[in-house]
Amino acid sequence: MRPGTLLRLGLAGTRTDTMRVVLTALSTALAALAVLTAANVVAIGQLTLHGAGSDQWAEQYSNALLREPGLRPGVVITLLLLTVPVFALAGQCARLGAPARDRRLAAFRLAGATPAQTVAVAAAETGVASLAGSLGGLAVYLAGHELLDRRDAEGRLPLPTDVFPHTWFVAVAVLAIPALAALAAAVVMRRVTVGPFGVVRRVRRTRGPGPWPGVFIVLGLLAFAAVGSASPLRVHLGYHIPVWFVPTMLLVGVACAGFGVVIGTGWIAYATGRLLHRRARRPSTVLAAARLVADPWSGSRTLAVLLICVLFGGGTAAVRAWIAAGAEVQRALDAIENPGSPTTSGLVDLFYLRTMDLIDAALLTAVALTAIAMLVVVAEGVVTRRREYASLVAAGVPRATLGRSMLWQALLPAVPAILVALVVGVALVRTIGGEVSAGGGTSRTCDAAGEHCRSTRHPKVVRVVPVPWAELSRDGGVAVLAVFATTGAGLLFLRRSTDLEEIRAT
Amino acid sequence: MLLGLLGGGPKHGYDLKHAYDRTLPRAKPLGFGQVYATLGRLERDGLVTQAGHDRAGGPDRTTFAITDAGRGELERWVATVEPPAPHVGGTLLAKVMVALMWPDAERAMAYLTAQRKAHTDRLRELTAAKTDPAATIGDVIAADYAISHLDADLVWLRTTLARVADLRSGVHE
Amino acid sequence: MTHILQARAVVRAYGTTPALRGVTLDITEGEILAITGPSGCGKSTLLHCLAGIMRPDSGEVAYRGTRIDTLSEAARSRLRRTEFGVLFQFGQLVAELTAAQNVALPLLLAGAGRREARTAALAWLERFGVADVADSRPGEMSGGQQQRCAMARALVTEPRLIFADEPTGALDTLAGEQVLGQLVRVAHEQHTTVVLVTHDARVAGYADREIVLRDGAVDASGLGIALPTGRHGR
Repeated sequence: MRPGTLLRLGLAGTRTDTMRVVLTALSTALAALAVLTAANVVAIGQLTLHGAGSDQWAEQYSNALLREPGLRPGVVITLLLLTVPVFALAGQCARLGAPARDRRLAAFRLAGATPAQTVAVAAAETGVASLAGSLGGLAVYLAGHELLDRRDAEGRLPLPTDVFPHTWFVAVAVLAIPALAALAAAVVMRRVTVGPFGVVRRVRRTRGPGPWPGVFIVLGLLAFAAVGSASPLRVHLGYHIPVWFVPTMLLVGVACAGFGVVIGTGWIAYATGRLLHRRARRPSTVLAAARLVADPWSGSRTLAVLLICVLFGGGTAAVRAWIAAGAEVQRALDAIENPGSPTTSGLVDLFYLRTMDLIDAALLTAVALTAIAMLVVVAEGVVTRRREYASLVAAGVPRATLGRSMLWQALLPAVPAILVALVVGVALVRTIGGEVSAGGGTSRTCDAAGEHCRSTRHPKVVRVVPVPWAELSRDGGVAVLAVFATTGAGLLFLRRSTDLEEIRAT
Repeated sequence: MLLGLLGGGPKHGYDLKHAYDRTLPRAKPLGFGQVYATLGRLERDGLVTQAGHDRAGGPDRTTFAITDAGRGELERWVATVEPPAPHVGGTLLAKVMVALMWPDAERAMAYLTAQRKAHTDRLRELTAAKTDPAATIGDVIAADYAISHLDADLVWLRTTLARVADLRSGVHE
Repeated sequence: MTHILQARAVVRAYGTTPALRGVTLDITEGEILAITGPSGCGKSTLLHCLAGIMRPDSGEVAYRGTRIDTLSEAARSRLRRTEFGVLFQFGQLVAELTAAQNVALPLLLAGAGRREARTAALAWLERFGVADVADSRPGEMSGGQQQRCAMARALVTEPRLIFADEPTGALDTLAGEQVLGQLVRVAHEQHTTVVLVTHDARVAGYADREIVLRDGAVDASGLGIALPTGRHGR
């Protein structure tokens, strides 16, 4: 099939399709922006994973995150991780208006296209939209680069506008994102066989999803535990731990736990559905339970991304608590050893805490993006079930009941999942170290002659890191609120979609 | 039927046959003998008269015209509803066509309405007979047969009327 | 003879397209009424207005003496749940619930307990001969079975009026016959009034009375068209 034809067929469509294309483009623009910014930060200078001397600090930046080479990888990783919810949004948008598009694809098949060709058409639509978005993101990035290049009073830059990443890297990023998006669309379509008579989704499994997620979560915890045991091992037993061990295990741990949480959403949805099924009395809960059991994966993709954000939120809350406890311990030690002198460690803590704040801000953005994706899911769910809902309304089922069932369907798996994600996030950090200590050990001080050595035991202050209940409940609360709000907003579609013109027979 | 054709004006026997064949192309073509025999019968009954002889070109071309009595008979025939039965066939067709040609649209409508009502009433009877718990399988099958044909008649009637209405509105507007 | 449902000069349009242009009719209690007519004549719209699913733009619809077109959506919804039963051509069963759960749904809405609702549902499914698919989902049943389950759902609350819009439209002759036969039988047993919309004369044959609509108004002749008066061209 010629590329021109592919393009025309891919972009054909109604207003919903246009909206889908626009949303895909917007989300890829955001992703491109994030990736380019990350690349920019990388370009500042050499990255080192462990503390380096202050000569490596990039002094021209006012923002400490950019100055310290030890922190820059964190910034880069955060930015890259922000692309995940963006891709999730793009993926969800690809499903918007899906029934109409499925019918179109079926018509293509009927006209003689092969299954591979139809998948190519679907992927082409995503590809083109994301290419446009990618280029848009590039434009915004370049514009920002120019416009935000202002030095403040000390001659410092707030953002790394004086360096550019390598040109080839930029080109690769801008082209790779749409390619990945198109590939993702093709992969998603793999589960869907487009026959000439319409789309047939693969038969839903009769058993629920298995316990794999639990396995992955445990693996993640183990990886983090390995990190946690690394330093004591090194200190006490003298093992030589290679430099790459800690960051790799951290990454592996996060990836495993994250993956576990993500695929756990399907299982959680199914399990809550089964539980509710037995005990449901009111029609709204009966409907919600049946839907959850029949299709546990609908909407769980966006829930998964939300959960990752919550996981990170839990983790950062724990880290924050850890740092705070560390500072306190240091202060306490200082107080014991040098009573009366002011502490100097406060400044550093403030700096770290500000980093945490920035990470929290990033997470909040991610949650907002995910909320938009969830809204799309809910709207699509309502629109697909139009006819069914309309005839239920005609039969006298109040719209309020239908709305309540949708809320139940969204909230019931979400709440336990969010709790689990919070717990896992905190647990990951705590396996590294549940307590902080400062001081301790012995030191030998000898006088100038080398005799009369005396070993003094330094006081050791130990504190158990408290569980940051306040932050955790705040994070959890925000997540639950996001789910509630987006479902509620999606319900606004309900009234319009159940308008009875949907069920006119002739 | 012949009366109906004559209702449009006096004709020769020859013309009558051709008019008949033209109007009912799928029916058995009428033989000349049949035409004259029927005409003879109609004349004997006082429904047609000979209106004149025309010797121009060829054999005896008697023109026949319809009498008042004939007209009355014709009206009566059209006004009688054809009892709906499986083998209504040609008679129904003829009646409907005549009704459509009828100058008085109101009367035509009245006939058609009545005919349709007769059909639907019979259909209702047959359906009731079919769903009667005491009906045997034979009853059901027979009823089905009749119902199918009645349904066919009704569909044809509706389509014909729509067709004619289209045609007429095309002609007049 | 009581008139259980009455309509007076009901007018309804969709945007600028008129669907009903002043329909007046009376429905006697216990009768089976067929509303027929060519496609686009407004039959379904009339049904929706009569059942309180839609509000007419003007005119009145009265159920047992009280006007229902002036009621709120909630009140009409309750009416549809308790006193009316509705049956459509397709798409009315919830795909994720089993047949028994679908049929039990109106009872649950009315506040019945789960067990009683299920017992009642099973009884009705039995009555329509589909008790064997009680625990299957609609996707696992044939069209005829689905329609019979839908009928069970419509009748489970023992309504006084049933509104059916082309209930056999998607079924073959025999399945359709079964559905209609059972509907009529149960209607007679329960003394339920049935308003049946169809374009098929055979379906109309199951009714006691027929009203023909043409272009949104009642057509007394039943012919569906009007022959224009005036001299014909032949």
